[in-house]
Amino acid sequence: MLAPGQVRGTGTTPRSGAGRVSRRRGVIAWCFMLPLVVINVLVVLGPSVFALYYSFTEWSGIGAARWVGLANYAELAGDSEFHAALWHNILWTAFFLVVPMAMGLFGAFALTRIRRFRLLFRVVYFVPYIVASVVTAAIWQNLLSPDVGLGKVAGLNFFGSTTLALPTVAFVNNWAWWGFLVVVFLAAMQGVDPHLYEAAALDGAGPFRQFWSVTLPSIRPTFMFLGLMTIIWSFLSFDFVYVLTQGGPAGTTDVLSTLLYREAFASLRAGYASAIGVVMALISGVVVAVYLVMRSRKAWAI
Amino acid sequence: MTLSRRHFLALSGATALAPALAGCGDSPDGTGDIQFWSAFSDLQQQSYFQRTQVDAFRGSAAVRLTVKPSSVINRLTQTALAAGTGPDLVLTDGPAQVAAYANAGYLLPLEKYARQYGWDGVLAQWAMAASQVGGQMVSLPAGYETMIMLYNPATLAAHGWSVPTERGEFEAICVEAKAKGLMPVAAGNATWRAASEWAVTAALNHYAGPEAVYQALRGQIRWTDAIFVDTITLLSDYFQRGWWGGSVENYFTNSFPKLYAALASGAAVFMITGSWAFSEILPYFGEPAGNDARWDWAPLFPLRPEVPAVVWDLGVGSTLSINAHSRQPDAAAEYLNFLQTDPRRQAEGIAEAGLQPAPVQLTAADFPPGADERQSRLYIQLSNAATIGYTTWTFWPQETDTVLYTNFEKVFTGQLSAEEYLAALDAVFRRELALGKVPAAPPPQGLGR
Repeated sequence: MLAPGQVRGTGTTPRSGAGRVSRRRGVIAWCFMLPLVVINVLVVLGPSVFALYYSFTEWSGIGAARWVGLANYAELAGDSEFHAALWHNILWTAFFLVVPMAMGLFGAFALTRIRRFRLLFRVVYFVPYIVASVVTAAIWQNLLSPDVGLGKVAGLNFFGSTTLALPTVAFVNNWAWWGFLVVVFLAAMQGVDPHLYEAAALDGAGPFRQFWSVTLPSIRPTFMFLGLMTIIWSFLSFDFVYVLTQGGPAGTTDVLSTLLYREAFASLRAGYASAIGVVMALISGVVVAVYLVMRSRKAWAI
Repeated sequence: MTLSRRHFLALSGATALAPALAGCGDSPDGTGDIQFWSAFSDLQQQSYFQRTQVDAFRGSAAVRLTVKPSSVINRLTQTALAAGTGPDLVLTDGPAQVAAYANAGYLLPLEKYARQYGWDGVLAQWAMAASQVGGQMVSLPAGYETMIMLYNPATLAAHGWSVPTERGEFEAICVEAKAKGLMPVAAGNATWRAASEWAVTAALNHYAGPEAVYQALRGQIRWTDAIFVDTITLLSDYFQRGWWGGSVENYFTNSFPKLYAALASGAAVFMITGSWAFSEILPYFGEPAGNDARWDWAPLFPLRPEVPAVVWDLGVGSTLSINAHSRQPDAAAEYLNFLQTDPRRQAEGIAEAGLQPAPVQLTAADFPPGADERQSRLYIQLSNAATIGYTTWTFWPQETDTVLYTNFEKVFTGQLSAEEYLAALDAVFRRELALGKVPAAPPPQGLGR
């Protein structure tokens, strides 16, 4: 006697067969995922957990660590070099949220308005982004040199001045960065429905009004996402500062990442450096959390 | 023969893993060679070392030299030692790194081998003292260096100057050179940010004097002492007058190639640097540079009458130790003895490839014919040093040293006073002293063999 729904000869029900297929697909999917999971555990999760642990220790990076509780964080609170580096990071973030974002938006919008040479301009804007940062830094070091470059013409030492060095390094980094924003914004703008522009034009809207009332609202998710990533990347910036000034002159271009590097590898204070790293991660975490809340409330696509 | 899919995957994985795992072993070819990792400034130096110091070794085991980039050799060694592997002979860039390795238990005590090979009678006493961590000998200085003053004799002659032997003469030349639009001291830290500590090292040893520095390193006086305040104030004043690098701003953007070229062309008068510059400076003078410029050197002069006329600021450029996990420590010690103790081989290394010598007594007879007289003169005089000074990168603990050169920039840019700078330095030093992180320093007098 067969149970209701049981098929003779197979010994299984159609429902359980579908379940097995589904489970098998799940297993196969996890098999594909497994290398990625293993790599992430090994190179992201594992080191992150260790960094968190070492931030509560006094550790040279060599040998055993000594548990010191919150001492590293207490020291950070009173460390003038940390405060200065954090302030420089905030200035850096503000600069990158305004200048390259504005340049990227303007550049992309301008490119949507032209037909000839659009591809050429896209390539020209994008090339600095794919050039190695060390190469870009070396080029600008020569261009702005106080001995043979623009610095000599202007009578300024851009990288040697305690007031000019940070904005100059940010300028060089921006030169390599803004072309990337142009390309991403342009891709987003090309997805905007052309009928919206036609309707706006019929209503008498000029290019600026169209940009403000049609383009910007249409690319808002991209705009917000790049703003979020700009904040995160700004707090991780290292290469241009390290190559151009190594945090000098007199610490005026030190950012959290260069301070972390110096504490870990010059002062051999890996525990203290870990605490700086945790603070950097917390800042990025807060930014991501704010973005996710906004994304959820506003129902953005990305 | 057919292979199942499972066996095929297993074999593929094993094949891929085999070379990777083989690379993790401490003797990749399984021959029991002495493993030695090192870094060189150029290919000529590397091939010279391979020929004369590796292939020429006829000990109980062969040596396998693995060349690593100088920028990462410390980190690679550190990682390997932490994993319980790494080379038999451990190369470090100074006593601070040695102390960290020794405290982690990575290094083998060397007293037994020192007695066996009689190192005490061959190597300089200061080197033996600087080799200890917590009273135990764990390393040998593999290369040492000293601070000197480079100059172009033609530049001095053209302006009617002579090599200064005291502060008044030096300052008079600096004032006149600055007025003529010259750079009195070729200096800058664009290439190497820590270059500021060269100036601090010179000022501490030649103004405060080696005795005061020695006492401070032992914790007997504080870095906030008036003599150190005066030292830093004087040096900062020199920087602010534009004597170092031409101006405060230019100091931060002056690269070494530019400075060497300025010294050769006569645009700069002096350069206060280390003996390592002997090999770096060659492309800028004479035939390689297509000019007839030549260079010479003089010992640093005292900045106060109370300081001895000649003080040699000693620095350890590199050290060698034996890995605590070495399977053949006796063979490694035998090779260490071969590398360190033959004066003739040390002198040839200086003359032929610009290698830093081990701290052995050198005489003129040790140098090969045709050796650069300026180099041999330095090392012969250094071997007979009556008074030594202390380079900050060798005898200061790591964190204090970092604070020393990063914060000194804030002094001559006007962000910190000398008192504030030294108070911060002293606080960090006290902490490291209490933790036993200050490298052992020999006394300033009574050196040599």
